Amino acid sequence: MAYPQDHSLEILLSEEEIIDQVCRLGEEISRDYASVDDLVLVAVLRGSVYFAVDLSRFLTVPFTLDFIGINKYGNTKESMGIVRITKDLDVNISGKNVLLLEDIVDTGLTLNYLLKNLRTRNPLSMRVCIFLDMPGRRIVDVPVDYRGVEMQDVFVVGYGLDYQERYRNLKYIAALKKD
Amino acid sequence: MAVITISRQFGSGGEFIAQETARKLGYLLVNKATISERLQEFGVTEPELTIFDEKKIGYLEEAAANDEQEKQRHHSYLENLQNFFYDLAIRENLVILGRGGQVIFKDFPPAVHVIVIAPLKNRIERVCQQYNLDEAAAARLIAEQDEDRREYLRFFFGQDWLDFDLYHLSINTGLLELEEGVSLVMKAAQYKESLVITDRPDKEVLTNEQGPTEPLQDATGLEPTFAHPSEEEFARMLDFYRIEWLYEPKTFPLEWDSEGNISEAFSPDFYLPEQDMYVELTTQKQKLVWKKNKKMRRLKELYPHVNIKIIYGRDYRGLLDKYGIDE
Repeated sequence: MAYPQDHSLEILLSEEEIIDQVCRLGEEISRDYASVDDLVLVAVLRGSVYFAVDLSRFLTVPFTLDFIGINKYGNTKESMGIVRITKDLDVNISGKNVLLLEDIVDTGLTLNYLLKNLRTRNPLSMRVCIFLDMPGRRIVDVPVDYRGVEMQDVFVVGYGLDYQERYRNLKYIAALKKD
Repeated sequence: MAVITISRQFGSGGEFIAQETARKLGYLLVNKATISERLQEFGVTEPELTIFDEKKIGYLEEAAANDEQEKQRHHSYLENLQNFFYDLAIRENLVILGRGGQVIFKDFPPAVHVIVIAPLKNRIERVCQQYNLDEAAAARLIAEQDEDRREYLRFFFGQDWLDFDLYHLSINTGLLELEEGVSLVMKAAQYKESLVITDRPDKEVLTNEQGPTEPLQDATGLEPTFAHPSEEEFARMLDFYRIEWLYEPKTFPLEWDSEGNISEAFSPDFYLPEQDMYVELTTQKQKLVWKKNKKMRRLKELYPHVNIKIIYGRDYRGLLDKYGIDE
């Protein structure tokens, strides 16, 4: 898809603001899972890695960290067809308390599929923690238990979110704008 | 179905090329006669039917267009015209003469957009012969007619008529005979059609592990005919994420006349059974969706338990952008 090569960034969330929110989420989750010793954090590849790592550093409860990857819908032949797992969990989550970590939820389509898929594995509980929420883009409703920041419908990069593999490593979150 | 749009400078012979192309290919010619006859069914009546058709909106009217009622009148005309074209295009192969066809079907992959032009001296010559006018009168008529078409496209569609980015093919009848023009348009249409067919994945591709990409089937196994390519794309996206859908399964009556007959109804594009939710897509410009919004409000008044979501053109493009550029 054509996207402007000439673009500028407008910072929407600074590094400090991000860390404040991640810290808040970490405290909430630690409190809620205080009596649990089999928490499994499932981070969705690839954008959520940054968020998952930061969040885990604010947790005071024991946990196992694992990753799951799926292919995304697109216009190329390779990604047409049907969603599938490209990297599955290494951990068996049956009977465990699972917390799914997503960097961003907009349409809810990816999350909806992941929740359905993971539920078939019979976890004891399943909750969702997301860093960025764009409810204005939602197509299917999905449950969100822990939410970092709600944002308007703009194309954002940084803190794990990329544009053609660029900008993932920005320490802040910015809107990508046409020049 | 196939769509050929033909825009033309006055006196370039574009009408002849459109007529002949339609006749030879067996397509329906959509010109003034077709529009006068059938657009009324889509709610465009006199005086709009005549005064808006490929006409320049005068300065006074344009000034008055800031008035809310006037705005709605323009939006309504445009929306009905679009609906009329879409409705025709589902059923028939079309050759559309003017009327913003090149903009309305801009993103419709099988469409071929043609502009017929000619140097002024050739057009004056042709108009002199055709209308039995002297050169000065012909030049004046050409200037007036071209201005009408230019301003019609600018006012209703916000496009520059002679922006060649809008067209696949430009035919200069100062250099080509009209019949040669007809052949070129037909060749372009046939070539485009062949591309559409071969673009589809063949059986071998269909049997790969990612599963078939078409035809699309709804949750009950039916293969619906989509009114707009964006709906098909949306259904494909839902299929990808394994979300069951039904296409236009239900019509909600919204208004009744004094005799109790349904006078207005609304059929949302999709129903998602798992979510118990209706989805209406609109790829029209935000400023043109007021009528749809009105229907949605009415639907929520009459059927408060119905869960419906409208996805606007902006959001839909945003979605496609997202999926186009995501990892």
